[in-house]
Amino acid sequence: MNAAASAAPAPAAASSRWTSPLWIGRAVAALGAALLLLYPVLSDDAYYQNMVILSLVFAVGASGLNVITGFAGYVSLGQGAFIGLGGYTIGVLATRFPDTNPWLWVPVAGVVAALVALVLGFVSLRSRGPSFVIITVAFLFLVQVVAVNWVSLTNGTAGLTLPLPTWDREIINWPFYYALVVILALQLLMTWWIRRTKFGMGLIAIREDETKAATIGIALPTEKILAFVASTVFVGMAGAVYGYYLTFIDPRGMFSILISVQIVLSLLIGGKATLWGPVVGAFLIEPLNEIANNNLGGGNTRLFLFGGLLVLVVIFLPRGLLPAIESFLERRRTRGKAGLVGQRIGTGGSLASLTDRVQVVDRSQIPDRPLLEVTGLTKHFGGLKAVDDCSFTVPEGSITGLIGPNGSGKTTVFNLLTDTIRADSGTIVFDGKRLDGTPPWKRAHAGLGRTFQITRLFGEMTVLENVVAVQRSFSVGQLGRIAVSGKEAAAAEELLEFVGMRAFRDQRAHALSYGQQKLVELAQILMLDPKLVLLDEPAGGINPVLIERMGEMIRELNSYGKTFLIVEHNMPFVLGLCDPINVLARGRTMATGTPDEIQRDPAVIDAYLGDDFRVEPAKPRKAVS
Amino acid sequence: MEQLVQNLVLGLLLGGVYALAAGGLTLIFGVMRVINIAHGAFLILAAFITYSLWSGLGIDPLLAIVITTPVIFVVGWVTYKLFVAPIRTAPMASTVLLTFGLALVLEAVMGTIWGNNSTAIRPAYGNESFIVGDLFLPKAQVYGGLVAVLVLAVLWVVLTKTWLGRAIRASAVNPAGAELVGIKIGSVAALVFAIGIAAAGAGGAITGILYPFVPGAHYQWIARLLAIVVLGGMGSLNGAVLGAVLFGVAETMTAAYVSPSWATAVPYAIVFAVLLIRPQGLLGSRLREDAVPA
Repeated sequence: MNAAASAAPAPAAASSRWTSPLWIGRAVAALGAALLLLYPVLSDDAYYQNMVILSLVFAVGASGLNVITGFAGYVSLGQGAFIGLGGYTIGVLATRFPDTNPWLWVPVAGVVAALVALVLGFVSLRSRGPSFVIITVAFLFLVQVVAVNWVSLTNGTAGLTLPLPTWDREIINWPFYYALVVILALQLLMTWWIRRTKFGMGLIAIREDETKAATIGIALPTEKILAFVASTVFVGMAGAVYGYYLTFIDPRGMFSILISVQIVLSLLIGGKATLWGPVVGAFLIEPLNEIANNNLGGGNTRLFLFGGLLVLVVIFLPRGLLPAIESFLERRRTRGKAGLVGQRIGTGGSLASLTDRVQVVDRSQIPDRPLLEVTGLTKHFGGLKAVDDCSFTVPEGSITGLIGPNGSGKTTVFNLLTDTIRADSGTIVFDGKRLDGTPPWKRAHAGLGRTFQITRLFGEMTVLENVVAVQRSFSVGQLGRIAVSGKEAAAAEELLEFVGMRAFRDQRAHALSYGQQKLVELAQILMLDPKLVLLDEPAGGINPVLIERMGEMIRELNSYGKTFLIVEHNMPFVLGLCDPINVLARGRTMATGTPDEIQRDPAVIDAYLGDDFRVEPAKPRKAVS
Repeated sequence: MEQLVQNLVLGLLLGGVYALAAGGLTLIFGVMRVINIAHGAFLILAAFITYSLWSGLGIDPLLAIVITTPVIFVVGWVTYKLFVAPIRTAPMASTVLLTFGLALVLEAVMGTIWGNNSTAIRPAYGNESFIVGDLFLPKAQVYGGLVAVLVLAVLWVVLTKTWLGRAIRASAVNPAGAELVGIKIGSVAALVFAIGIAAAGAGGAITGILYPFVPGAHYQWIARLLAIVVLGGMGSLNGAVLGAVLFGVAETMTAAYVSPSWATAVPYAIVFAVLLIRPQGLLGSRLREDAVPA
């Protein structure tokens, strides 16, 4: 009511607000929630009550799956097994301890599911790639074999019969129903919260580009394993309620592969990485399942239906229903309005005028020592020595250049410094600490920030989200911090203002031009508050005005005490900005000196042009220099 | 002692059949980065086709491989063109779900055509054994294992000695580069998918003789094949062969010395252990991932 009243003086704004996907979505969600709460009171039709109860179970399953699959991008085909685990937890415990109230075992089931997920995650999520999905398939199958064979615990194929509910038959389904509604509410609350925190940003970053995510301080294995645990805990509880509701559990029913299929399908149809998508999907698929089972003969029909839908959804509706509807509404709403992407990049201001977190440092206060000391760094790709016994230092407070011909190993050096590729040998001492052997996120936490030659922003995230995804250190407290508003967002906006990209804060990164992406990536790295900034071709592929601005920003940041190491091919840019300059050739440092010294060094010129370069073949080499 | 040797030999023969099917799976993954969850379903489909050829036309099941494998090859090629090609560039998560859907549809198709009852192929030599010293080696298993090794050898020759094999390996290592030197990536991918599926088909035709099967058995197969591939290292053909042999021996040994009902479970414990110690598998390698941020 309040919103309507305050909107009255500005009808135009109000109409666009009420037709915005957000408000339509909220209205539909509120209506749905009200219906869901009142349904058992309104109708006592057992068939439909059963259908809603099952839909609730699948909604929890799909919403849980959303955390690991929707946010972090790791598909699990074993989600159904956690429903089964929950069911068996309550089954085993309730038959062992008949005097205890079975409801007590529901939270226990959540803990069991979480512990199993922790173990599975530890096995399969420390590395990246396909091991996880494969382990989930194996797990789904394995857990059924265990339930069949561990007869002393599970009573094998004969199954377990739980104590019958003791309450009034009139409202026999009510406790199950409302318990599931509560669990679903908790699950959704958790999903909503995760989406707004640093943790959630980290997960989406992992989905978008895992290598890059590691370089901005996201501790990959920890976050992925946590996400997997989070995606199973409420599912285990829902499974327990489901098992109690059925009062009979056996391996075939509880660990049916089709439960997993139905969960996956619910998530996909509703929409991955959305809050309500999995719920909508579950309430669409379960009735279909019932119809296929009861009216169409079940068995093969159900397989046809689920398998066929899965194939069709993946090919034709990859984003799911809710995102498709949302973008349709958004298109209608913004029709005829100019896009923001073509907007001019802001001129920015000095960072010191935007925030009090930086101040100009007194040059004489900077200790005369190397901030970064690289010794004997080596990386071979098969027979190719990309970096071969490379050594150099970066003095604290300097803007150090790293130049060299194409293929001389500059970018590989960066990759080795940030552990994007693991070095074969060599030591890296940074700020007095050994960094070699540590993973990328620890190096980011130590104060190493790095941009990529070809920008690597997280395409599906907004500009602001790209910047707040950064993690300066690892702590559980920080993971839980709200990222999309408050302090974090304010700090990110200051940096975006500095690079001139604040107006673009809500644009998705993939919609930006290359130059704009470079600026956002710089802001992103600055969010790490790094001691040393590694820039890979900051002036490459952008217009001269922006190159000049880039140089200004680097100088300004340097005046706040930030040290830089810059790889660049634009010689006027490097010679005007950097001192000292290291020259790399064939994977090793061949010269170090001031810009003047480097320009006059015949060996450097030789390396750039090649020793067989001659204006005329007959002329001696001297002629070149 | 003879018992142990006998189990070892049977495990090795079984491993040969596993290697054939797992080789197809790892080939598809290595070249296309597609985890084909429908691999087990194609394997069972081949077993059913072999069954029909044997029971309907009276063709010896091991000879029927010559018919079954090309048929499955065509099925694989058509499947690629219809379903996989449209999402060729999608992330791995999408193709996993797609092939999972295909597996369910295939299961339903098989259930509709052949029914969900246990089916067995029993050629005349089904109950006979070779007797070597003190060893009893069932003829079906010996023939099956030998045929599997033969087909695997042909596959290996194709991959390492022919132009097609070089094109396939080039596509696996660097798709963009392969395209630049005139390899049609789409055609190679279709061929690889079909070859991989055909390998599963050959494996399925052989296992149909060794064990009874139902349409739903494909879950067990895909779980087993994936475990083998993870064990050996994703995308490595040699790794798949090594993993398959280890897996076959482990399964046979568990069935003989622990209990037959746990035979299906114990090898997974091995895979979990391997992943804990060596996440990239036995012969797998960590890929260079800085060059192309795919």
